[in-house]
Amino acid sequence: MAHSILRSFLRFPSGGVCNFTKPACAYSRWHGSFYFYRRANNSRISDGVTSFHFVKEASIRGYPSGAIVACSRNYNSNVTSTFETVDGSEYLAMTDEKLMSQCEMDTFKVSGPGGQHRNKRESAVRLKHLPTGITAQASEDRSQHKNRAAALSRLRKLLALRVRNTIDLETYVPPPELVQILPTKSTIRLDKGSQIGPNNPKFALGMQALIDLIFAVGGSVSDAAKKLGLSTGALSRLILSDDSLRQAVNEFRVEKGMKPLK
Amino acid sequence: MKSSRASLSSILQPVFSLRRPAFCSAAPPKPQTPLHLRPPAFRAALSDLQRWQAWAKTQASSVGSTFSALDGGPDSSLLLRELNWLVEDAVEHPALLSTENKVTAEVAIRAQLEEMYELWRQRIEERRPFQYVVGCEHWRDLILSVEEGVLIPRPETETIVDLVDHAVKADEELREGLWADLGTGSGALGIAVARILGGGGRVLAVDLSPVAAAVARYNVERYCLEARVSVRVGSWFDPLKDVEGELNGVVSNPPYIPSKNIHSLQAEVSRHEPILALDGGADGMDDLIHLCHGAASMLKPRGFFAFETNGEIQSKLVLDYIQNEMEGSFCRLEIVSDFAGIQRFVTGYKA
Ligand SMILES: C[S@@+](CC[C@H](N)C(=O)[O-])C[C@H]1O[C@@H](n2cnc3c(N)ncnc32)[C@H](O)[C@@H]1O
Repeated sequence: MAHSILRSFLRFPSGGVCNFTKPACAYSRWHGSFYFYRRANNSRISDGVTSFHFVKEASIRGYPSGAIVACSRNYNSNVTSTFETVDGSEYLAMTDEKLMSQCEMDTFKVSGPGGQHRNKRESAVRLKHLPTGITAQASEDRSQHKNRAAALSRLRKLLALRVRNTIDLETYVPPPELVQILPTKSTIRLDKGSQIGPNNPKFALGMQALIDLIFAVGGSVSDAAKKLGLSTGALSRLILSDDSLRQAVNEFRVEKGMKPLK
Repeated sequence: MKSSRASLSSILQPVFSLRRPAFCSAAPPKPQTPLHLRPPAFRAALSDLQRWQAWAKTQASSVGSTFSALDGGPDSSLLLRELNWLVEDAVEHPALLSTENKVTAEVAIRAQLEEMYELWRQRIEERRPFQYVVGCEHWRDLILSVEEGVLIPRPETETIVDLVDHAVKADEELREGLWADLGTGSGALGIAVARILGGGGRVLAVDLSPVAAAVARYNVERYCLEARVSVRVGSWFDPLKDVEGELNGVVSNPPYIPSKNIHSLQAEVSRHEPILALDGGADGMDDLIHLCHGAASMLKPRGFFAFETNGEIQSKLVLDYIQNEMEGSFCRLEIVSDFAGIQRFVTGYKA
């Protein structure tokens, strides 16, 4: 895939849980949706960190063309246009360890000297995925270890929601990770293995592929359902079964002037 | 400073004089069982427990930012999070509390309802640390029992375990053999280091406080590490005379707060945690300096040490001290920052 398109949901549903730390300028100057896209690639930088151009979508259809470069940030200052061959879905296929190695971890800044001076659980963890700038955090557990695991699984979900891969509808065959999250009655399901639900870590990959398809068909649930061998009702139910999936699909539909799924 | 410290700690722990000989024959103090490990032996009507919870929330909310403005203590949002954790530890099926259940339903809890009121009152009114209230701290992947008289392990200290992990990965010979954790407190470092080392390593965990030693032993047993972690009571390297020059590694988070700063600490710390665990003398360096000298004689050549400090200036002072006053004893000295970017640890290898 030549490039994948990152979509940010600036009005993120889950409150403080997810946000972009940088670029601050993207936050403050515009409201609405941004599409982040990667420059055409022809080499890879050794540390796997890419530079991004943060782009305001001018017309929804014409992806990168007509885009206005709003602000750019290079993680590696001597590379202006970098090359990266990682496909969006590859992030999700990475092991936790690999994905972690692409992240910068912040625990929340302790004011004052910390250590023996303080009794406060600074167990909150924020992970920033450097290639995409997406951050996820977790603070509900007492242990930093568990918060790190929770933040990582949240990051996977965010990557699924925001990293868009383009699809060629003519030749489209649903990838296996998507098939796995479909109800067993789908006619494209050859094996009758059980359906993977939203609590399974593998759900994120399937969800990403599903959103890719829904984007490709312009938000039409019935068109997507056809590609997946499902009734429109069955696909709607699947979309509604997960809050973040539903929200992602509905935001897109509203932008396209369609009614949100209920 | 040192003597005032000893007498203060005996006020805190009146039963156990710290001046007792290291290997005394008196029965060791019996550690308390953390709340989450007690049997759910008590019943309460769901509605009564919900009433307790509503009261506790009000208490937490009314704190606002008073404590944090006063001495950097917890604000309402942290207290509310702690309240959830208290419910998790005390109630057998915490989910029941948030469901719209029949008013007649009963729930099993690990403390009497009256005690639940008392525990939360202590948390808010007395600023008793949450970890003493529930009797445990979640630290790394461990759940360690803690109680009054034992320092609550700090998240910063978790990094020492990673430093040990790196050191033994870089030199596998360090993995097999003896390590020491000086001032083990709850046993946090000793236990975590033993788990990093694996079956071939052994850890000697030392503490001067008999209460700490008893709690450390309890935690060692909980993680079934009796064969690999031995707890010894005494001052720093005193109880380790038999292994002089044989240690592969030494870790310590010794008391490092300058005496004059102890009383301005947040109330959870200054009023409740043992001063013996915190007060490092006039400039906070007394124990660190003592440990540097001890490590020089106790470590094998190429043996590793990692010490936690008060941060920044203090870690530089420790490093300077080793370089200037103990020239030639150690090599590959480093200062390592904690997760908040504070230069916190000094590490190095015996020359
Ligand atoms: C800051 S606490 C660290 C506890 C534990 N290692 C941790 O990190 O949570 C310092 C510990 O050193 C112990 N201690 C103080 N003076 C000591 C001495 N002279 N010999 C041995 N231990 C001592 C205290 O009892 C306390 O447990």
